[in-house]
Amino acid sequence: MNLLALILLMLAGGGIAWVSERFNPKAPQWVALFVLLLAGFWVYGLWVSGDGPIYAETKFAWIPRFGISVYLSLDGLSLMLVALTLFLGVVAIASSWTEIRERTGFFQFNLIWTLAGLVGVFAALDLFLFFLFWEVMLIPMYFLIAIWGHENRGYAAMKFFLFTQASGLLMLLAIVALVYQNYATSGVLTFDYQALLGAEIDPDIAFWIMLGFFIAFVVKLPGVPFHTWLPDAHTQAPTAGSVILAGVMLKTGAYGLIRFVVPLFPEAALDFRWPAMVLGAVSVIYGGYMAFSQSDFKRLVAYSSVSHMGFVLLGVFAWNQLALQGSIVQMLAHGFSSAALFMLAGALQERLHTREMSDMGGLWVRAPRMGVITLFFVVASLGMPGLGTFVGEFLVLLGAFQVDVTVTVAAAIGIVFAAVYSLSLMQRSFQGPPNTNVETMADFGLREMSVMLVMALALVWLGIFPQAVLEMAAPSLASMGVGAP
Amino acid sequence: MTDLLWLIPALPLAGFLILLVTEGRLPKLAVALVGAGSIGLAALTTFVVGSGFLDAGSEPYTQTLWVWMDIAGFSPNIALYLDGLSLVMLGVITGVGFLIHLYATGYMAVEEGYSRFFAYMNLFVFAMVVLVLGDNLLVLYLGWEGVGLCSYLLIGFFHTDAENGYAARKAFVVTRVGDTAMALGLFLLFRELGTLEIQAVLEGARVAWPAGSTLCTAVALLLLGGAVGKSAQLPLQTWLPDAMAGPTPVSALIHAATMVTAGVYLIARMHDLFLLSPTAQLAVAVVGLATLFISAFAALTQTDLKRILAYSTMSQIGYMFLALGVGAWSAAIFHLMTHAFFKALLFLSAGSVISAIHHEQDVMKMGGLWRRLPVPFWSMVVGSAALAALPLTSGFYSKDIILLTSWDFASGGPWFWGVASAAAFVTALYSARMIFLVFFGTMKTEPEDRSGPNMWGPLVVLALLAVGGGWFGLAPLADVLPDGGLNSHEHSTSLVWITAAIPILGVVLGILIFGSKQIKVDGLLRTRLAETLRRFWFGGWGFDTFYDQVLVRPFVLLAEVNKNDVVDLAFRGTAALARSINRMTARTQTGRLRWYASSMAFGLAVVLFVVLEVL
Repeated sequence: MNLLALILLMLAGGGIAWVSERFNPKAPQWVALFVLLLAGFWVYGLWVSGDGPIYAETKFAWIPRFGISVYLSLDGLSLMLVALTLFLGVVAIASSWTEIRERTGFFQFNLIWTLAGLVGVFAALDLFLFFLFWEVMLIPMYFLIAIWGHENRGYAAMKFFLFTQASGLLMLLAIVALVYQNYATSGVLTFDYQALLGAEIDPDIAFWIMLGFFIAFVVKLPGVPFHTWLPDAHTQAPTAGSVILAGVMLKTGAYGLIRFVVPLFPEAALDFRWPAMVLGAVSVIYGGYMAFSQSDFKRLVAYSSVSHMGFVLLGVFAWNQLALQGSIVQMLAHGFSSAALFMLAGALQERLHTREMSDMGGLWVRAPRMGVITLFFVVASLGMPGLGTFVGEFLVLLGAFQVDVTVTVAAAIGIVFAAVYSLSLMQRSFQGPPNTNVETMADFGLREMSVMLVMALALVWLGIFPQAVLEMAAPSLASMGVGAP
Repeated sequence: MTDLLWLIPALPLAGFLILLVTEGRLPKLAVALVGAGSIGLAALTTFVVGSGFLDAGSEPYTQTLWVWMDIAGFSPNIALYLDGLSLVMLGVITGVGFLIHLYATGYMAVEEGYSRFFAYMNLFVFAMVVLVLGDNLLVLYLGWEGVGLCSYLLIGFFHTDAENGYAARKAFVVTRVGDTAMALGLFLLFRELGTLEIQAVLEGARVAWPAGSTLCTAVALLLLGGAVGKSAQLPLQTWLPDAMAGPTPVSALIHAATMVTAGVYLIARMHDLFLLSPTAQLAVAVVGLATLFISAFAALTQTDLKRILAYSTMSQIGYMFLALGVGAWSAAIFHLMTHAFFKALLFLSAGSVISAIHHEQDVMKMGGLWRRLPVPFWSMVVGSAALAALPLTSGFYSKDIILLTSWDFASGGPWFWGVASAAAFVTALYSARMIFLVFFGTMKTEPEDRSGPNMWGPLVVLALLAVGGGWFGLAPLADVLPDGGLNSHEHSTSLVWITAAIPILGVVLGILIFGSKQIKVDGLLRTRLAETLRRFWFGGWGFDTFYDQVLVRPFVLLAEVNKNDVVDLAFRGTAALARSINRMTARTQTGRLRWYASSMAFGLAVVLFVVLEVL
C-alpha cells in the first residue's frame, strides 16, 4: 500500500483534530486516538500480510532535476520502529487524557504531526525526504514543550530547538556534501539512499561527512557530551511529549547511525569505531551517575535514558550481529520502559504537583498499584533478565566484548550504576516512611492500569521471546552486510 | 516421569502470578494455600521426578522449552538440565523451602502484606529453581539475577522503614558488583568457546585449554567474582549481616538455606574450569578460609541474635568454599545440604523466640527462656549442635570431611586445616554462647508463645533432618563431581580424633564461660586490647567502614557536587557569552543622533586609517 498515504493520513488527521476543538474541547483527543488506531491497523496489516524483507515500498520522482524522489520503504527494522511510534503515540494520548485542558486541538495537532514526522524518518530512503521529515518531527515537538510544558518551559524548549537545529544544520550540510561528492565522481545527482550506498568518496572527505552525520545523530540519541538538552526538555515537557521524546525520538538518532552512518561510510565509520564506542561507554556510565545525583523524578529518568542509549551507541559501532541485534532490542525495550517511567512521573505530577522526590516517599502505602508498576519498570530499567532491557544490554555487551574488551568492561560497570540509580528512584518515591504532606493519592484506575500492563507485557515478551524481533531485524541487518541474508 | 521437570519452576511461578493478579484481595487462608501449597506441590514433583531420574540410572536429562535467542551462533535455549547435582539442589530448595513457607504461614499472619510476602517468596523459589536447573549459563544468570531481585524485595519487605530499604539496596548493589564480574566471565567464555551451554562449555574447556591456562584462570576468577557476591564471601560479604532486616523466614530461606549457597553451586557446576586452573582453585580455598575465619570471630561478638546467625552463615559457606578449593567437591554440596537443614532450623527457632518476646533481637535482653519455649529451645540446641559439628549430628559428617580433606591439600594443607579447625573451635564457642545467653540465666522478658502446629511442625522436621541429614549418602553426586562422591581418605588416627574433638572442646569451654561461669572472663574482656578487638570484630573487621569511606562517600559526594552536570557548562557558557555580547551591543543603541554620528565618524576614521596603512 502507499506509504505516503499513511503519512498524509496522519498529517490530515492532525489538522482535523485541531479544527475539531471548535465543537468540543474533548473532541481532538478522540480524533487523534482514532487516527492513530487507523494508522496502527494499517501498519499491522502490512506486518501481517508482508513477508519481508521489504514490507511496503513507495517510490516516485518528486523533484527530478535534483534527483529527489519520494522514496519510502519499510523493512523489518523500520516497520518495528514505526509500530513502536504508533503504539507509543496511543500511549501518549492516553497518558495526557486528563492532563491537557488548554488548546487541546493544537496540542493533538502537534502530537500527531510529530508522530507523522517520526514515521517518515523511519521510512524515508531519500535523504532529502529524510531531512524534511526530520524537521517535521522537531518543530511540533518544540511547540509541545514551549506551550504545554512546566514552569521552566521556555528555556527548555529553546535549548531543545537550538540543539536540534544546530545538529540538523550539520546533517543538512553533510547530506549536501555527500550528494555533491557522489555527483562529482559519478555524474549523477541523486538523494537516493540505495544509489548513495555505493558512492565513491575520497576517504578524507568521507570522514568529515561521516562525522557530520554522526554528531547530528548523537545529539539526538543523545550521547555525552551532547546530552544536556535532554534533561531539560524531558523535565519540562508535558507527559505526552516526554513519552514521545524518550520512547521514540531518541531512537531516530540510533536509527540514523544504523541506517546511514555506518552503511554509507563503512571505512570512515570503522576508523571512528574506537572513539564512538568509548563515547557509548562514557554515556552509559556518566548518564547512570548523573541519574543517581538527581532529585527530580523526571530528570533522573531522563539521565537514565542517556545511559540506556549509550548501550545502543556502543552496539552500533561494535557492528557485529550480536551487538546490532542487541542495540535494536534495546531501542524497543527502552521505548517501553522509559515511556512507562515518564508516564509515572506525569501521573505523580498530576496528583502531587511536584516532581521532587523529597516531596514523595512512602507512596506505596497510598497507591500500591502505582508502587507495583513503578517497581516493575524500575526493575526493567536496571536490566533484569527476563525483560527486554536485559536482552538488549547483554547482546550489546556480548558483541562489543568481541571487538574491544576494555571499553566493554567499562560499559559493564554501568550495570552496577543502573542498579544504584534505579533502586534509589524506587526508594525515594515509593518506599520509606510515608510523606506526611501526602495524605491521600488516587491510585491507578482502569485506563492507566491497562496502558501500563500492555507495556509491561511488551517488556516481558521482549525479554523471553526476543527471537521474533531478532528474526525480523535480521534481513535488515543482512542488507547492510551484517550476517547472512 | 522426568518430563514433569518443567512443573517444578512452573508451580511457584503460578503461585506468584495468582497472588500478583489478585492484588492481596484473597483471604489469608487462600493466600497460605497458594503460597505454601505451590511450593509443597513443587516438592512433591521434585520427589516424583527425582525417583524417576534415579530409577532411570541417573542419566542427565535435558528439557528444552523454547528457543530464547539465536543469533550468529549464539543460541541459548530456555532449557532445563537435571543431573545429580541439580537434583540435590532441587531437594533442598523445594523441601526446605516448603517447610519455611509452612512456617511463614503462621509467622507472617500478624504482619501487613501477607499476600505480597508469599508472592515474593514464590517468585524467589521459581528463580532459585531456574538457577539450579538452567542448562546454559544465560538461564542460570536469569535465575541468578532473579533470586537477587527477590532477596532485595524481601529484605526491604517492611518498606516503610528507610533502614530496611537501605539494607535491601546494599544487598542488591553489592551482589551486582559480583554479578557484573560474572557477566564478563560469560562474555569471555562465549568469545573463546562459542557457547554458553554448560556441558558444552565444560567439554570445550577440557579440549581447548591446557591446565593452568591464563584464559581459563580469567574465566574462573570472574565466575568466582559472581560467587563471592552471591554467597557473601570476602570481599563482597558486607551485605549479609544487614540483610537480616528481612522477616526471619526470609533469612532462613534466602540468606541461609538457598540463595547464598548459589555461589557454591556455581563453582561446583563449573568445576572443570577450576580443575584446569590451580590458581583459581587456590583462590577459592583462600577466600573460603579467610571468610570462615573472620566471620567466626565476628559471630562471637554479635549481640543481635540474627546477626550471630548471619555471620555464622558466612562462616559456614566459607567452609563450603574451602571444600571446593581443596577438591572436596561432594563434601561442599554435602555441607550445603546439612547447613540448609540446621541453619534453617536455627533461623526459624530464632524467629519463634523473637516473635515470642515482642520482636526483641538483642541476646543480652533474653535469657531463661528454655522452660517457657521448649520447642524453639530444643530446636536451637539441636541446630547449634549441628552447627558446632558435634559428633552424630549432620554438621559433623559434612564438616569433618572438609577439615580432613583440607589437610591433604597440596599447597599448605596443614595450614588450611589449622585455621579452619581454629574457626571450628570458635564456632562451637559462639554456638554455646548463643544458647546460654538466650535460654539460660535470668529471664529478662516474659515470653508469649503463639506458635501453632504450622510453626513448630517444620521445626521438628528440620530438627530431625539436622540430626539425621548426615546419613543421606548423596550418591547422585558421584556421577557429576570429579571426586566421585564422598570419599573418605585415609588419615592418621590422631588427626581424625583431634579434628572430631575440637568442637567438643569449644562447647566445653563455652559451657564453662557462659553456662556454669566457672571461668571468669570479665577481667580479660575489660582490657583495652580485648575491647578494641571486640569492637573490631563486632563491626565485621572494619570492612563496612572501609567501603563506606573509600567508595560510598566519595561516590555520593561527587554526585552531589556534579548535580548540575559539568558538561552543560560549555553550553550554558556559550549562551551566556551570546547574551553578554548582545547586552554590550545593545548599549550602543542609545537613540541619540549625536552618538551615532560621532561613532560613524570614528568608524570611518579607523577604516580610512587601516586602508591607507595597508595600501
